Amino acid sequence: MKKRLIYALVLLFLLFSLGAGVTMVYIYRVTSDLQSVINLHRIEIIRQNLVINTQTVQSNLYTTGTIFGKELDVIVENVTALDDSIHGCKKCHHSREMTARLKDVERNVEQYKEAISYLITTTANPERVGRLKMVAVGIGDRLLSQTQEMAFIADKSLSMRTISAIKEINNSKNILLATLLLTLVIALIIAITLTKQITRPVYALVAATRMIASGHLGYKASYDDKTEFGELAKNFNAMSERLKEEREHITQYIEQLAGLYDITLSLYKITELEDAYSGICRELANLLKVEQCTLILYSDEQRMFVAHPSAYGLSDEQTPLLKFSREKGEELFRQAQGLPVVSNDVLNDERFDPAVTHVLNERSVLMAWLHRKEKLLGVLRVANKNGIFTEEDAKLLTILASHIAVARENALLYEYLQDQMFELRDTQEQLIQSAKLVAIGELASNVAHEINNPLTSIIGFTELLKSEGDIHRIRIRLDIIEKESLRARDIVRQLLRFARKSPLQLMEIDVNEVLREVLQLIDVQVKGNHVEVREEFGQFPQTVGDLNQLKQVFINIINNAISAMPDGGRLTIRTARLGEYILIDVEDTGVGIPKEILTRIFEPFFTTKKEKGTGLGLSISYRIIQDHGGRIDVESYDGEGTRFTVRLPLRTQKTS
Amino acid sequence: MKMKGTLVKCVVVFLLLLLPLKGYGQQELLIGLIPEENIFNQMDRYRPLAAYLSSKLGMKIRLTILSRYGDVIDKFDSRKMDGAFFEVFTAVLAMEKLSVEPIVTKVNLDGTSTSRGYIFVRQDSGIRTVKDMKGKRMAFVDKATVTGYLFAVSFLRENGVKSIERYFKEYYFTGSHDSAIYSVLDNRADIGAADGEVYLRMVEKDPSIKNELFFVAQSPPVPDTTLCLRKDLPGEVKSKIKEILLNMDKDPESKEVLRNLRVIKFRGASKDDFLPVFEIAKKAGVDIKSYRYK
Repeated sequence: MKKRLIYALVLLFLLFSLGAGVTMVYIYRVTSDLQSVINLHRIEIIRQNLVINTQTVQSNLYTTGTIFGKELDVIVENVTALDDSIHGCKKCHHSREMTARLKDVERNVEQYKEAISYLITTTANPERVGRLKMVAVGIGDRLLSQTQEMAFIADKSLSMRTISAIKEINNSKNILLATLLLTLVIALIIAITLTKQITRPVYALVAATRMIASGHLGYKASYDDKTEFGELAKNFNAMSERLKEEREHITQYIEQLAGLYDITLSLYKITELEDAYSGICRELANLLKVEQCTLILYSDEQRMFVAHPSAYGLSDEQTPLLKFSREKGEELFRQAQGLPVVSNDVLNDERFDPAVTHVLNERSVLMAWLHRKEKLLGVLRVANKNGIFTEEDAKLLTILASHIAVARENALLYEYLQDQMFELRDTQEQLIQSAKLVAIGELASNVAHEINNPLTSIIGFTELLKSEGDIHRIRIRLDIIEKESLRARDIVRQLLRFARKSPLQLMEIDVNEVLREVLQLIDVQVKGNHVEVREEFGQFPQTVGDLNQLKQVFINIINNAISAMPDGGRLTIRTARLGEYILIDVEDTGVGIPKEILTRIFEPFFTTKKEKGTGLGLSISYRIIQDHGGRIDVESYDGEGTRFTVRLPLRTQKTS
Repeated sequence: MKMKGTLVKCVVVFLLLLLPLKGYGQQELLIGLIPEENIFNQMDRYRPLAAYLSSKLGMKIRLTILSRYGDVIDKFDSRKMDGAFFEVFTAVLAMEKLSVEPIVTKVNLDGTSTSRGYIFVRQDSGIRTVKDMKGKRMAFVDKATVTGYLFAVSFLRENGVKSIERYFKEYYFTGSHDSAIYSVLDNRADIGAADGEVYLRMVEKDPSIKNELFFVAQSPPVPDTTLCLRKDLPGEVKSKIKEILLNMDKDPESKEVLRNLRVIKFRGASKDDFLPVFEIAKKAGVDIKSYRYK
């Protein structure tokens, strides 16, 4: 194509040069024609000068000897001018005819000069002088008529030359136009041809690139010739083929990786690792297209490396042949420097035992090491590939061997961890059992203590009854016994209530209304303790809850608050809605709860009221609110007061 | 006053300084030519010399041609000529009648500075002696020429011709030597008298002339054309002109000029060169001082 371009450019250059040459020639011809015309005009001027000079000399001759006669110097000047005129004529190039005429004129001029000189210098009688004058005048007249004749010829020649020049100019115009048009047409043809020659392969290549871009790797451009474009198309096709091969290679590699992924995935089901080996061997054999795949692992029992029974492509008799001592294995591992061992011609490879090779019917072998750091765990061995083992096969096998090594170690670790876990669980169960026993002991101790007091009273009064004869006193003492018994029963009931959850009796309740009822119920204690009550109730919808249990909760909390203000104080009860919750604050200005016992107040049987309380009130309240899906928080500052915050979810009958 | 005097002195000095710049005071020299031959040819021969002299001298040299030999004497003053190339007899006349002095004379191609006058007839005329000339047509050049008239007259007198008016059928003056030769050749005259140098120049142009003419008599050598200048021309101009002309043969530029003039060089001229002329004049019965040359 480069040559074609150069040829085309050279052709164009030659065409333009030809055009320029033709133009130059015609310009030269036209200008020389014009120059001829100009020269002819000049000649005409010279001729006219000749005529004028001749006429001047003639007039000089006529006046010679008269008073009008010119000085000799003037005549000489005029004749010299005449002479110069004819010499001027001779200088130009003329036709043969004109040259002959000019020679004739020149000869006449010479004669004329001769005659004039003779006339001027002669001293003779008037007749002779007169004759001489007539001779000179005659020559002069002849000269004039000759020059006139020449004028006609010159005029004719001038007009002919002018016509010829005009014709030449017209011809030049036509030739120039034709040359220009021809050059333009040829240039256009060259341009179109070249453009086609350039665009055709470009389009073919563009189409091919589009095909490749749309995924048709290996597509070949149909263009083929010996130009650079042909070379380009050839290279392009080679590139396309290479891309196709590369893609196939990559696809194959991805498939291998996918296979590898599938294989390795099963490796991480660590609980079934041993079971997974046979699957791994089969899939690996498929992936690498080999006939045999064996996993040789170190056996603690046999103290050597032995083939795992999961081997693929080997019979039960063949498999056990693949074994070697720990020392041999480690030596081979060191020799190979941890790199995979490959042999595509096992029969002629000294590293392999010919007997084993023969029995196993092996042609080619690839082995990768299973190791953790420097510790050899085993060998992954594949044999008899359809083709030869490549570096990629070695890489793949190494990766898989690493995964198996890791998985195997993980499995061992898992086993170890599992053992540890079982041990830990046993220990924990023992601990829980001990804690349970302690808790039961403590509970029993508390219950015993609580029940012991009424029982002591009952026993004491029963002892007294035995010796008492007075019925009144007996009745009084029996009343005491009954009271103490009932007290014991209450303790037991409360304990049972704590232990046993009673189901919630849910209904729509107005929390503000519930609080008002509670305040009414304990109005006596409030007033008796000089407590000022503030109600700061907010607006919110009714919620769902167990009216009696909630009343019990609020009574408990308010009672505790009143108890905390033995010398009177202010009780503030505040309600408000916070998002999907109703908040109920019960705040007192009492003695407060010491920080060290604040965390224990919801524990069962924990009380600060000594003989007055059972220590179950707040723990039961806490359980009730928890059952409602809420919670109780407490804030207290020693000597400043306490605030209990009950948080109840805002529910309707349906949502609950 | 003192100031004015100084100013005048300065102006005078300035004008004096300008003088050399003005050269010799006049811008051109007018040199006369006698119609030795065809006046146009004569002018053509001398024009290159005038141009050469002009360039060397720094003054324009203008030429003027005269229709008669004698006119150079008559019109020398009236035409305000500064000098002329005189034919030997007119030179003698000029030295007698005008205030001129000879400067240089030509050295011809044969190395001489002289010329001879001839009396000639056509070969076919049958004229061989003076006797044969009786009753024929005679063409002289001019009365004021030695070679074209005086010699012929002296020769005729020596051979017994008392009166040319009566001896010839017709005689006339052609004004130039070549015209006299052509007159005989063209049969406008039977006998002619002319200068040998002019004859040689004509033969050079047309060698056939040599065979057509018969020479009856030949004069002794007389000085050739001589440049005489006005005596009152500035001496340095005269000496400069003389110097230029005498050194022309050494200047390569002047080669063509000399060739055109048909001379090899110029040599210095003096009055003594003209002594032979007096002898001829005597023989011709001419008293130079009272000679009517018209």
